[in-house]
Amino acid sequence: MNGESVSTFQFLGLTFNTTNIISGLLAATIVFVVVFVLSRKIQLKPTGKQNVLEWMIDFTNNIVRGSVTNGDAPKFGLYAFTLFLFIFVSNQLGMFLQIGWNGVTYVRSPTSDPVITLTLSLMTIMFAHFSGVEKLGFKRYFKNTYLTPFVFWLPISIFTELIDFLTLGLRIYGVIFSGEMLLKIIGGMAFSGGPLMTIATVPISLIWQGFSVFLGSIQAYVFVTLTSVYISQQVQIEE
Amino acid sequence: MLSQLVLGTSNTLYLGDMLFYAIVFIILMWLIKIFAWGPVTKMMKERADRIANDIDSAKKSREDAAKLAEQREAALKNSHAEASTIVSNAKDNGNKQRDQIVTSAQEEVQTLKQNAQTSIEQERKDALKGAQDDVASLSIEIASKIIQKELNAQDQKQLIDSYIEGLGKQNESR
Repeated sequence: MNGESVSTFQFLGLTFNTTNIISGLLAATIVFVVVFVLSRKIQLKPTGKQNVLEWMIDFTNNIVRGSVTNGDAPKFGLYAFTLFLFIFVSNQLGMFLQIGWNGVTYVRSPTSDPVITLTLSLMTIMFAHFSGVEKLGFKRYFKNTYLTPFVFWLPISIFTELIDFLTLGLRIYGVIFSGEMLLKIIGGMAFSGGPLMTIATVPISLIWQGFSVFLGSIQAYVFVTLTSVYISQQVQIEE
Repeated sequence: MLSQLVLGTSNTLYLGDMLFYAIVFIILMWLIKIFAWGPVTKMMKERADRIANDIDSAKKSREDAAKLAEQREAALKNSHAEASTIVSNAKDNGNKQRDQIVTSAQEEVQTLKQNAQTSIEQERKDALKGAQDDVASLSIEIASKIIQKELNAQDQKQLIDSYIEGLGKQNESR
């Protein structure tokens, strides 16, 4: 919403957005606590909690294995796992928890801010390129990424990388931001037209919230899938 | 300008946020690796290894069992053959021994019989010889008595009586 005030502070000459800091820390903490609790008492014969954790690990590992096929998959499993959980929790955070004070929202989905999604996207792209250099060596990496199929493909390749970076980040931002925006509008409607309006908006809000949860999960999945695709493009030589 | 266009709600590009998120994400990844990812993937790998080992060892033990059964069957067959050999050997031995015993008994009997015959023969011979000697001495005695005396009837009777008496005495002394 335009015109909403934002709380920022300066530190070491950099601008920080308080909302993003709090939300991000909260999301990271939730992810860590969940994983920490699930990973207590690891046994050879898995039971209860451990099954859940192993299912999640298998899930992200399968996403990675779907694109990275030449035995490099285990190296990217941890990144995909962390990324998936972090984005998933971030997406859902704003659905259940929006804390505002003095007209400033302090807790919401971190992924509803393009800066954050683009940061994650940039990290992914950088990680992919770094893995490519590590795997192939700089010369072959450069040739594989920018000069195939022709040398004069270079500008298009660079442009493609930029597009990948932007779409990866903005796709998730768009979905989550619009979801939260609509929730806010519905919330605003609920208190604008008397008790009848409030009752009428409850099912709409419920439906949209459910749909947003679904979208958030899908977006987390899509983000990790695309991440592994980009990684596989860098670490595997296309013939 | 661009940042304002893109970000919409914000007035400055929060470079700090980007840095913060990158750092938070890396720390999160590190923590997850230490507390969950490492142990769990290790355990999953261990489990995979264990399962593979179990399958292999199960296959091996099944093969071993089959081999053992085969060996046992062969041993059983062998033992049958061995048993029959032992029995037939024992029979042979028994037969042989029996024959031996019978033969030796027969031989012994033969020897005993011969010995007995020899001793009987000897005894007979001895007896005969004794009788001959007796008869000879008797005849000599009679002859001498006849020659020594002219005998009348009474004397003769006396003589005979004395002879018979002598015989009886001889018999008694024997």
